[in-house]
Amino acid sequence: MKLSKSFIGLVTVSTIFMLYASGLYKNLQSDSALEIVDFSIAKPASEKNISSNPDRVPLYGDLHVHTKYSFDAYIFGVTATPYDAYKYAIGEAIKHPLGFDMKLKEPLDFYAVTDHGFYMGMIENYADTSSEMSKNEWTKPMHNLNRPENVTVESLGGRANLFSSVLTQAIIKPYPYWHPKVWKAWLTNNIQVALQSFDYDVHKSAWADVANAAEEFNDPGNFTTFIGYEFTTSTDVEGGNLHRNVIFDSSKAPIRPWTRIDSLNPEDLWTWMDGLRDQGLDSLAMPHNSNGSNGQMFEVETFRGDPISIEYAEKRMRNEPVVEMTQVKGTSDTHPLLSPDDEWADFEIMDKRVGSRPPTYSMPQGGYVRDAYLRGLTLEWEGRGNPYKFGLIGSSDTHTGAGGFDENNYWSKAGVLDGTDMGRGSVPLTKDRIEQLEEYAGLYDQPISIQDIEGRTYADVGFDQWSASGLAVAWAEENTRDSIFQAFKRKETFATTGTRMAVRFFAGFDLESIDLESEDMVKNAYAKGVTMGADLFSQDNQTPQFLVWAQRDKLGAPLQRVQIIKGWVENASGTPKEQVYDVACSDGLAVDPITNRCPDNGARVNINDCSISNDVGAVELKTTWEDPEFDPTIKAFYYVRVLENPTCRWSTWDAIKAGVSPRPDLHKTIQERAWSSPIWYIPEASELDIIPL
Amino acid sequence: MNLRIIVFFIIGLVIFLLDIGLNSQEDSKDIYISDQELTSLLSAWQSQVGRPPSDEEIVNIINNLVQEEILYREALLLGLDQEDRIIKRRLAQKITFLKQETIPTEPSELELQEFFEINKSNYFMPATYSFTHHYFSKESNAKERANLAFNALAENGIEPTGDPFFLGKNFYQNTAAEIDRNFGPSFLSALTAIDLNQWSGPHSSAFGEHLVYFKNTSAGFLPAWEKVKGAVTQDYLTQAQDDAIKNYLKEIKSEYRVIINPNYQF
Repeated sequence: MKLSKSFIGLVTVSTIFMLYASGLYKNLQSDSALEIVDFSIAKPASEKNISSNPDRVPLYGDLHVHTKYSFDAYIFGVTATPYDAYKYAIGEAIKHPLGFDMKLKEPLDFYAVTDHGFYMGMIENYADTSSEMSKNEWTKPMHNLNRPENVTVESLGGRANLFSSVLTQAIIKPYPYWHPKVWKAWLTNNIQVALQSFDYDVHKSAWADVANAAEEFNDPGNFTTFIGYEFTTSTDVEGGNLHRNVIFDSSKAPIRPWTRIDSLNPEDLWTWMDGLRDQGLDSLAMPHNSNGSNGQMFEVETFRGDPISIEYAEKRMRNEPVVEMTQVKGTSDTHPLLSPDDEWADFEIMDKRVGSRPPTYSMPQGGYVRDAYLRGLTLEWEGRGNPYKFGLIGSSDTHTGAGGFDENNYWSKAGVLDGTDMGRGSVPLTKDRIEQLEEYAGLYDQPISIQDIEGRTYADVGFDQWSASGLAVAWAEENTRDSIFQAFKRKETFATTGTRMAVRFFAGFDLESIDLESEDMVKNAYAKGVTMGADLFSQDNQTPQFLVWAQRDKLGAPLQRVQIIKGWVENASGTPKEQVYDVACSDGLAVDPITNRCPDNGARVNINDCSISNDVGAVELKTTWEDPEFDPTIKAFYYVRVLENPTCRWSTWDAIKAGVSPRPDLHKTIQERAWSSPIWYIPEASELDIIPL
Repeated sequence: MNLRIIVFFIIGLVIFLLDIGLNSQEDSKDIYISDQELTSLLSAWQSQVGRPPSDEEIVNIINNLVQEEILYREALLLGLDQEDRIIKRRLAQKITFLKQETIPTEPSELELQEFFEINKSNYFMPATYSFTHHYFSKESNAKERANLAFNALAENGIEPTGDPFFLGKNFYQNTAAEIDRNFGPSFLSALTAIDLNQWSGPHSSAFGEHLVYFKNTSAGFLPAWEKVKGAVTQDYLTQAQDDAIKNYLKEIKSEYRVIINPNYQF
C-alpha cells in the first residue's frame, strides 16, 4: 500500500514536471475564480419612469446580511433564505428563528445578501443526513440542526460551541495528495476542492441561489440589490479580524466567490478583483469590524509584514473605497483611549476580537477609522502613499436575514443565541437558564458564561456590547444599481447607527457666497465646492469654508448638534493630531468659541418609560464653518458627525419590557448619530524632504 | 369422553396456530420500497443539492430510509405515537395538504376574471402626484411665516420666500408611500381635497409647514388584464387553497365538542 502510494506520487510529480517543461501546463491550468457567469433573469420591463435628481438624494440600505447559507447563521438556527432577506428589506415581515415576526418601520432602498463565501451552503449540507458529507464523523453534531423541533433557546450552549469549532477549522482536512480531487484543485486554482469537507457542487449552487435572489428582487427605480458575499479572513497569528464584504456592480459575477481558503491575504483578494475588473466586471470590498481586529485592519505594514508602498496604497484604495464603520458588533469611529478629548468617543465600543472564545481583548490602535485616517496621513507624509483614504458606511451584519436597526425593536443578530433579552445579557437570568448554561459549560468544557452584577446574574457572552446599528447611505441620482455603486466609488456616502437622518457636506473657497436660504443652495454648493469623499486642493493658500446641512429622522429623535472632526499630522514631526468642533447647535444655541462646544440643550430621557423631551432639538441644522486653526500648508481631513438627542439604548428597552430595572453597568441611553465620509484638504507640494528611517 | 376432550383440544390448537399465522402476516417484517418512493426521494435530494446523487449517496439515502422505517415500526409497537405533539401537528399538516390538493390547478379564464373583479384593489397601480412647494422650517416660527406667505400669495400674488427643503422643491410622480417617506406619515393624508394648479396650505409635515401646488395627479389605475393575469392566477390558487381548508373545517367542526375544565386557573 505504502509502496503504491509513493509510486503514484512519483508518477504525479514527474508528469507535472513534464507538463511544465513542455509548456503544456499553462494551457491545462485555468483559474476557476476568474470565470464570469451571467446570472441575469428575464423579467418583464418595468413601465415606471425612473426619476432622477441631479442634486442627488440620500438612499438608505444595508450591505451586510447573512442567511442560512452562512456556516455560522445555519448553526445559529437561521433558515431564512436570501429571498426572505430581500422580502424583509422591501417591508414584509419574516420570521426570526425563535418564531416572532421581524419587520422594518420603513422599507429600505437597497440591500445586499453577503453570506460568508468560505464554506457557503456547506453546513446545510452537513445537516442533511442523506448527503454524502453527513457520513463523516465530524458532521454528527450538525445533523438535523435546524429541524423546527431543534431550534430552541435550550440548544444555545451547543450551538455556540459548534460555532467556535467550525471557526477553528477542525473540519478542514485535505484529501491525500494522490487523490484526483487534489489534481483538480491544482489545475483549476481552486484549493477548496481538495478538502474532504467540501462539495463544490453544493457550494456553486448556493452561490447561484444568492445571485438569483438578488436578480429577482432588483427593481430599478424602486429597490436595488447587489450580488455579494463576505470574504471572511483573519491574520493567522493573532486571530485579527480582516473581514470584508464584496459586492458586484452587475448581473454578472464570478462562478464562485474568492474565499479565505484561496488565500488569507487581502492583497490576493484585490488581485482577483483587479483581474475581474480587467474583464469588465467592477466590484468593491468593504472592511468591517476593524474594532475587533486587534489593530490589524489598519496596520502600518502589509499582511506579510512588508512596508506599505505607494503601489499597495493605490491597490487598496482602488478596491476598498468605503469601510463599514458601524454595525451590530459595535462602532469603530474612535476609542476613548485613542481620543481622550472626544466626549462622544465612548460610544457602542465592542473591544473583543471577532469570534474569539473566550471573548478576548482587541487592542484599539489600528482598529478605528479616525486612527486609520491619521495613520494614512502619516504614511503619506513618509512618502508611502495613503491606503486609508476611504469613505464611511454602516450596515447591520445580521445573521437572521433581517437587520435590527431600532433600539425599541431589537433581536441582535445571532439567531437563537441572542434572540432573547436573557441571551443578550440585558435582563437577569432565571434559575432554569442558569442551570442550562452550567450544564452546557460542563458538557463542552467551557468556562461558565454568567456574571453577577449587583446581586443579579446575567449572561456573560459579549452580546451586551452589541448594537442596533447601522445603515449605509449613498448620495445617488436615482435608485439603480449603477447610480448607487458609483456613489460608493466616489465615497459620497455616510454611515448612521440605524437612524434615517441625512447629512450634506461640502468644502470650497467661495462657499460664503452661497445663500443658505436659497433654493439653489445645493446646486451652487456642487458647482463651487467638493462634497464628502473628495479632495479639496489648495488655492493660493486661502482658507476654505465648509457647508453642512443635516436633517432629522422624521420617526426618530430631534437633532442635538453637528460636529466637524479634524485630523492632521504636524509637518515637522509627523505627529498625529485631532480636534472635535461643534459647528451647529439646536434650539438657537451658540457654540462656545473657547471650548468649541454647544451648551446643553436640556434634552432628557425618562428611564422608567423611555419617553424623551418633546420641546427641544432641531428638525434641521445648517451652517457654514471655517477652521479657526487652519494652516494652509498642512494636509488634513474633515468629517461630520451629527448627534441626535439622547434616547434609550436597546438594553434599557429590554429591561423595561421585562419589568426589571436596567442593568447598572451598561449605558442606559445612547445618542444615535451619523458620520459623513471625510473631505481631505491637500496643500501645495511641500519642499520638505522626508526620509523615513 | 376422553376423545371429545382431545378433539376440542385439537380444534383449539388449530385455531390458536391459525391465529398466530394470520397475525404474523399482519406484522410482516418486510420493508417494501416502491419505485415512486425512490423517485421522490432522489428528486428531493437533487432539488436540495442541485445535482443528482452519486451511487454511494443513493446507497446512503436508501439506508437512511430503511433505518428510519425500522425505528418507526418499533416505535409504533411501543405506542410512542400516542399524544405526541409533533406527530399530531404533522398529521394535521398532512390533511391540510391533502385538502389543498383537491383544488383544480388550472382555473378557467372566467373564474380568474371573477376573482380579479372581487380583488381589484390588490392590482391597482397607486395614484401619483406631481407637485412643488414652499417650505417653512420648524426652526423659525413656521406656522406664522407660512400663514403670512399664503395670504400674501392669495391676495396679492406675492411669491413666497420660504426655506430650502432638504429633499428639494419639485416632486414628480410620487406615490403616497414616497410622499410619506419624504414628508412624514401624516402629510398627504391630511390633505382632504387636492385642487390642481393652485396653492394650498399651510400643510404640516414632520419638518415644518408647506404651501403646496399640485401640477398633476394621475388617478390610480387598473393595469390591463394581460399584464396582471399571471399574478392573479397565483393569488387565485393561494386563496383557493386557504378556502379549501376553511370550508373543510367549517363542515366538520360542529361534530366536535370541546371540554375545558371551567375551574382551571389561567
